Amino acid sequence: MTQRSFELPVVGAGKRVDHAAAAEAFNADVARTDWHDASLWFVREKRDRAASAVPDWEALRERASTIKEHALTHLDVYLMQFEENATRNGMQVHWARDADEHNRIVHRILAAADARKLVKSKSMLTEECGLNPYLEERGIEVVDTDLGERIVQLRGEGPSHIVMPAIHLRKEEVGETFHDKLGTPAGMADPNALAGAAREHLRKRFLAADCTLTGINFAIAETGGFVVCTNEGNADLGMALAPIHIASVGIEKIIPRVEDLGVFLRLLARSATGQAVTAYSTHIHGPRPGQALHVVLVDNGRTRQLAREEFWRSLKCIRCGACMNTCPIYRRSGGHSYGSTVPGPIGSVLTPGLDLDRYASLPFASTLCGSCTAVCPVKIDLDAQLFRWRQHVVESGKVSLVKQVAIGGSTAVLDRPRLFRVAGALVRFGLRLLPEPLARRAAGAWGRTREAPVPPRESFRAWYRKHRGGST
Amino acid sequence: MSGAEQSARDAILSAVRAARPPVVLRGESVTSAARMLGALGTSLVDAFTGAAIASGASVTVCSRDEVGRVIEGAVAGARSVLSFADGIPSHHAPTGDLHDLADLDALVCEPELGVAENGAVWIASSSDRLRAALFLAARVVVVVQENDLVADLHAAYARIDVTAHPFGAFVAGPSKTADIEQSLVIGAHGPKALAIVVVRA
Amino acid sequence: MASSVALFVPCYVDQFFPHVAIAALTVLERLGIKADVPEGAACCGQPAANAGFAREGHSTIARFVDVYAPYERIIVLSGSCAVHVKQHAGEVAAHGRKVDTAGAGVAERTTELCAFLHDVVGVDRISGLAATYSGRVAVHIGCHALRGLGLARPSELQVGPFDKVRALLGAVRGLEFADLARPDECCGFGGTFAVGEPAVSTKMGRDKLRDATTHGAQAVVSTDMSCLMHLDGLARRERMGLPMYHVAEVLAGTAGAR
Repeated sequence: MTQRSFELPVVGAGKRVDHAAAAEAFNADVARTDWHDASLWFVREKRDRAASAVPDWEALRERASTIKEHALTHLDVYLMQFEENATRNGMQVHWARDADEHNRIVHRILAAADARKLVKSKSMLTEECGLNPYLEERGIEVVDTDLGERIVQLRGEGPSHIVMPAIHLRKEEVGETFHDKLGTPAGMADPNALAGAAREHLRKRFLAADCTLTGINFAIAETGGFVVCTNEGNADLGMALAPIHIASVGIEKIIPRVEDLGVFLRLLARSATGQAVTAYSTHIHGPRPGQALHVVLVDNGRTRQLAREEFWRSLKCIRCGACMNTCPIYRRSGGHSYGSTVPGPIGSVLTPGLDLDRYASLPFASTLCGSCTAVCPVKIDLDAQLFRWRQHVVESGKVSLVKQVAIGGSTAVLDRPRLFRVAGALVRFGLRLLPEPLARRAAGAWGRTREAPVPPRESFRAWYRKHRGGST
Repeated sequence: MSGAEQSARDAILSAVRAARPPVVLRGESVTSAARMLGALGTSLVDAFTGAAIASGASVTVCSRDEVGRVIEGAVAGARSVLSFADGIPSHHAPTGDLHDLADLDALVCEPELGVAENGAVWIASSSDRLRAALFLAARVVVVVQENDLVADLHAAYARIDVTAHPFGAFVAGPSKTADIEQSLVIGAHGPKALAIVVVRA
Repeated sequence: MASSVALFVPCYVDQFFPHVAIAALTVLERLGIKADVPEGAACCGQPAANAGFAREGHSTIARFVDVYAPYERIIVLSGSCAVHVKQHAGEVAAHGRKVDTAGAGVAERTTELCAFLHDVVGVDRISGLAATYSGRVAVHIGCHALRGLGLARPSELQVGPFDKVRALLGAVRGLEFADLARPDECCGFGGTFAVGEPAVSTKMGRDKLRDATTHGAQAVVSTDMSCLMHLDGLARRERMGLPMYHVAEVLAGTAGAR
C-alpha cells in the first residue's frame, strides 16, 4: 500500500511487518534507544504542562470526542455540505475512492497546467497514497517543505512520526545528509545553522514553484473552508505564492461548524508538541485571485473502517501524535518498526483494517497499559481497540500454530483444577531441579534476560487446605 | 465533475451511508470558558503578553500616543517596510510581483484581535500582498488594541467571521521548528521575528 | 464485616507467590474479614484473552463466574485480573449462557485488594494494623489497576491528584517513598508481551528499575505480582539486590521477613 523506498526487517511470507524483530534490532543500540525514548518523553512532559494550564481540559476532550462522533455518524451530510459550500467559495472539489485515484487526480490537475515544480507541506494522507514516487515517475519535481519531511526525503526514508518526522535522527546525521545533498560544510551539526541552510535551499523552491500541495487539519462543513496548522509557515509560503493549490484530505477530517474549531485548536498543539497553539493556524475560504484551488476528498479504506462497529471511533483521530509520544513501546522501538505511514498506537488500530495479514503483529506491540487512551484528545479507546484487533488476528488464523497450541493447552489446564494443581507442581518441581543454564533455556524468551520466579515448595491452595481447612 | 469523479463521489457517499455507525447527537456547544478566564488571572493583557512571549514573540504595551514611536523602534534598521497599519507609512516596499516581497524586511499590520490563552493574533485579509508579506518578510510587527483581546479561542471565534476573507490566520510568534533533535529554531521558513504592540485602552 | 467475601488468588500467585496470598489473607483476617478461597477457578481468563484468544478463554472466565457468583464481594489479588473480570465477566453472561446475569453481577461485585482496603475498609483501620517497615520504596501500581480501576490519578489525566496505594502505605510507620521520574510508566510485563516482544519488555523493565534505584528505592512495592515477577526476574538476573513486595506483604508485616 505505502510505497516506501527502503525495506524494513520483515520476516515471513507476503512482507508481513514483524514489529518484534524490528524492535529487537532498534534496541541493539542501547544508548540510541535511551536517547530516542528521552526525546519523546520530553514531548509527553510538555504536553502534560500545556494540558494542566487548561482548567477544562478533560471536558474539552469529551466535547471533542462528541463532536467527532457526531460528525462521523452524519458524515454523508457534512461531506455534501462541505462540497456545496467549498464550491460556492470558488474551490474545485474532487472525490477519490483510493490512493491511485487520488494520485491520478493530482497528476491530472498538474499536467493540465503543465506544472512541474511542486512544493508540498506535510500531509500524512499523501504519504499513505504514495504520491511522491507517483509524481516523480511522471516527471514532476516534488519538494517536501516541512523541515523534518525534507530531511527524510533527502535520505530516502519515510517519516518515523506523524508530527516530528525526523525525531529518530541525531543532528550529526542531519548534518551529514545536508553536507551530502545541500553542500553544507562537513561536520556542521548545529540545528540553527542546519535549519538556516534548509531555509535558503527551500526558499528558492517556494519562489520557483508552479504548484503547491498541502494537507488539511480540519475541513469545515458549515462554511466550506479548511484549516492548515504549521509552525514553519511552509504551507503558507506555498499557498500564498503558487498559482495552483491542491489540498488533499481524508473524508474523516470534516467537522461540522466553525465554532468547533475552538475546541480542536485548543487541544491539537497542546497534545502534539505542548505549545498552546501552532505558529500558524491558517483558514482558507477561497482561492487567491487568479489561483486555482482544488480539494481532493479521499476515502482509501476510511469507509471500510467506518463500517466496523468495533473500530470506527479510530477515525476521530486528529493526527496529533500524542499517543506515540506517550507509548513506552513506540519510544523504545521507533516509528519505522511499525512499517506503516502512521505508526504507534493509532497506527496499530488503523492499519490492521487496511491489511490484517501484513499488520498482524501491530496490535500485539503493546502492553495495553492505556496511556495512549488517556492522552488522546478525542478519547479514542485505543487500548480497547488493540485488544479487539487481537481477537480478529487470532480468528483469521494469523497467529502462529505454536501460540495457538500453547493457549489451547494452557486453557485446558487452567479449566481443570486437579490438572492445574498437578501441572503447577510439576513446573515448580522441574524449575527447582534443572541446572541454571538449562532452566534459562527452557524459559525461552523469558529466560534470556530474566530469572524465573523462585519456585516455592507448596502452592497457596495447598497451604490453605492445610492451614485453613480448605474452602467452606 | 467528470463521469469518473461522479461515480467516485456516489460510491463514497453510498459507502458512508451503508456504514451506519449509531447516531451520536451534537450536544451542547462550549461557551467561552469562564474558567479559562479565571485561570488566566484578571488581566487579559498580562495573560496575552505571557503567552505571546512563550510563543517567541516580543510584546510592548503602550499608550496610543506612544504607538508611532514604538513601531519606529520595531522596524529600526529595516531597509524596506510594507505597512497596512493606519498612520504607519510603507518605506521602499516592493511594488511588483508577489515574489519581490521575498526580500522585504518588515511588514506592519493590525490584527483584528488577540487571544490571551495562546498569545495568537487573528490576521485576515483579501490582500494578496499582505498575505504573502506575512510569510516572506524577515520580521512582522503587529498592532493590536487592548480592547480587542479575548480570553480564549471560543471567544475569538464568536467575534470573528472566518468567511469574511479567503485568508485568515491565527499567528502566534515567529515561524519556528524543532524538527532537528527537538532543538527550537526560530525563523524556519517564515519570519524570524514577530513584534506585538498592544495599545492600552 | 459480613461474611460472603471471597478472595481470588490468580494462578501464578497460587503457584509461585503463595506468601503473598497468605499475607493478603492475614491482613483480611486481622481486619476481622473472613474471606473464603473457593476451589474450582484457577484463572480469570486474561492471559488467553489478551493473547487474542478471548473465545477460547470464555470457558475460563465462565468458570470464574460460576465459582464466585455466590459471594457478595470478590476481592482479587491482582489489578489486571480484577480489571479483566470487571470488563469481561458481563460479556460471558451475554453470550447465551442459561444462567441469568450472574456475569454482570460478578463484574460489579469484584474489586482489587488495595481498592477494597482503601475504599471499603478505610485507611484509619489500616493504620490500626500498626504495620511497620523500615526503608524507602518505589511504588509501582500496575497499569490496569491504575487506569482501569482508578487506584490513583494517572499522570495523563487533568483531574485532582489522589493515590489510594500511597494512602495505604502511608499508614505504615517507617516507610518512605522514593519519587520516580516516571511514576506510572508501564513496567513492560504485559502478559504474553513479555515473551512476544522480549527486547522492548526487557528495556522497559530495566528502565523502571533504574528509575527506582536512581531515586533511592531500596525495594519495589506493587499491587500486581505479574509486574513484580517481571521486574524481579530482571533485577535478580542483574544481581541488583532489590527486593520486591506486594502491598499486602507490607501491610501484613511480612515484607523482608522471607
